[in-house]
Amino acid sequence: MLAFFIRSLEAAMIFTFAGLGELVDQRSGILNVGLEGIMLFGATLGFIAAQETESYLIGFLVGIGIGALLGLLHGFFSITLGVDQVVSGMGVWIFGFGMTTYIGSSHTGPLGMERLPTWFGISPFFFLSVVLVVLVWFVLNRTGWGLNIRSVGEQPSVAEVSGLKVARIRYLCVIFGGMMAGFAGAVYGLYYNPVWNYNFLMGWGFISLALVFFSMWNPYLLLGGAVLFGLLWQVSLNPQMFFPGLASRYIWRMVPFAMTILVLILISSKWFRSRWGATTPEALGKPYHKE
Amino acid sequence: MSLAGYRIRVQRRASVPGWKAALFSVLAILFGLILFSLIFIQAKQNPLEVYRQIFRYAFFNEYGLGLTINRFIFLAFASYAFIIPFRAGLWNIGMPGQLYLGALAAFGVVYAFGGKSGQVSIASGPLIVLMVVAAMVAGALVGGIAGFLRGKWNVNEIVVTMMLNFILFYLVSFMIKDGGPFMNLGGRGESFELPDAARAPLIAGYPYTLVLVFLFMIALQVLFARMSLGYQIRAFGQSPPAARYAGIKPFRISVLVFLLGGALAGLAGYHYFAAVPGVYKIARTYGYFGDLSFYGLICGLISLGNPIAALFMALLFGGLSIGGRYAQGKLHLGFGVDFALMGVLMISLVAFQFFYHYQITFSRVPKSRALAD
Repeated sequence: MLAFFIRSLEAAMIFTFAGLGELVDQRSGILNVGLEGIMLFGATLGFIAAQETESYLIGFLVGIGIGALLGLLHGFFSITLGVDQVVSGMGVWIFGFGMTTYIGSSHTGPLGMERLPTWFGISPFFFLSVVLVVLVWFVLNRTGWGLNIRSVGEQPSVAEVSGLKVARIRYLCVIFGGMMAGFAGAVYGLYYNPVWNYNFLMGWGFISLALVFFSMWNPYLLLGGAVLFGLLWQVSLNPQMFFPGLASRYIWRMVPFAMTILVLILISSKWFRSRWGATTPEALGKPYHKE
Repeated sequence: MSLAGYRIRVQRRASVPGWKAALFSVLAILFGLILFSLIFIQAKQNPLEVYRQIFRYAFFNEYGLGLTINRFIFLAFASYAFIIPFRAGLWNIGMPGQLYLGALAAFGVVYAFGGKSGQVSIASGPLIVLMVVAAMVAGALVGGIAGFLRGKWNVNEIVVTMMLNFILFYLVSFMIKDGGPFMNLGGRGESFELPDAARAPLIAGYPYTLVLVFLFMIALQVLFARMSLGYQIRAFGQSPPAARYAGIKPFRISVLVFLLGGALAGLAGYHYFAAVPGVYKIARTYGYFGDLSFYGLICGLISLGNPIAALFMALLFGGLSIGGRYAQGKLHLGFGVDFALMGVLMISLVAFQFFYHYQITFSRVPKSRALAD
């Protein structure tokens, strides 16, 4: 049972890393639906780098690095070129999906390295994710930087007039988002599920994206949602623990995805939105053109 | 910015004339192919020679051409499945899920008439009609879920369709593996083989679904150019608030476009598993075909939602992916060259979106001004 909870928290930390980056991204007004592609890249290149160099550190750094580059690419498309953000994000996703399928194919199989150490049975990354949640909340709500990020995401033209560099702030946020997604992917590929297979991320990037909508752009709610999802995911992966002998394993594999849809419906309802006072960043998804 | 006496300006433009849009699409594809040749260079091959072989195999080799045409039909349906919601400003990336259920429904019809044993208790004609209808209805149902949720509660259709892809992926596994009802008695983790009566008739060696592609092209062209519903879809896609003001019901539009799109994706599933010569079963690698349907997204985007242009793209990408697979085997490249090509084309396409919105102009700068700059 304890192992089950720990595994849930470890799934949650991956959702949290990816979601936290996306949250900052969206707060500055940039929507990145290509999270899955960045995570796939982080997972695949991180996996290959770690396997080749036999160093976890290099694996994680490569994951973060490729994430930053893809974030920059999305920023370049959506901020500098003014491409529709959904089109660009979809591009990043398909790019990641297609390229990693090819790049990783010769590395199909287990990582073959000693597993990373844990603290009291749980990965230290979990504590890191909690620290980052607090840090991001603090920066967004209690510092001048956070105010700048939020104002760029709400009213970019007003922010520009009051002396903020909208493009620069958005670039920084989208690169941060990419780094977090790349890192999340690397943690998935190097720790959570260290067996490379094509498209082995199984839509976790899209789930993280859904979690950001769920969180209503509040890092604490994001963490809560991630833990909830981690638990649901583990229940549906280990049904025999709770419902022995009921239904085929394939049917159970559907459950977490169905659960994602149900939760998404719940949080999209007017009842939920009005009750919790959702604060969509005003300028989310809209390209900003400097006058 | 000025350079060598010329002033270079980047200006926003309101709209792009059709021929220019087509030109940008062609340039985007060329740029993508040039980028992709890096993979061949890395494999120490002459890219021009590889491309020559790819095209020769895909379009001028009898066997390769057959594969290309069948993939073209598949991609055409997948593109239409993407295009219809796209014209309404909605994103259908649920083609895999929709085509999985479409294929299952078509096989379900055969199963219901006892086809698992190799014999059916119904004539071939009606059986095939029933299979097609079932595939389209099933695909429409899967698509309809996303459309309904989007229309009713504004639930993000990208996430929903993606989740449905995984759900239906496992439904197929459940049906064809581990003793599922459609399992092949040989136990190879694939479905039973269709009896002869359920196999799609061939016209000049190609499945009749090829004719359906052109029928749907005409139907979509009429829908978007001549019908009030098509106009409503386009109006909604351009500006939902304005459309609502004009009395267009958002709920109705989003359900409708997803039903139609899903139905066409269901047809894609029917085509690959019940009409392609030599297949006639839900293969163990059905996930590969599901993922391949994402090419439909590229075809739809690059043709700007135009049903006729989308067919050319489907033919080109169908050929490229078949030829790419061939080159992969011949040059001993890694698995997934066709997916890598998909990724590179997509990113090139996104980069070229810039030209739809901006114009670069060069103008001579007077000497004195140039110095002052």
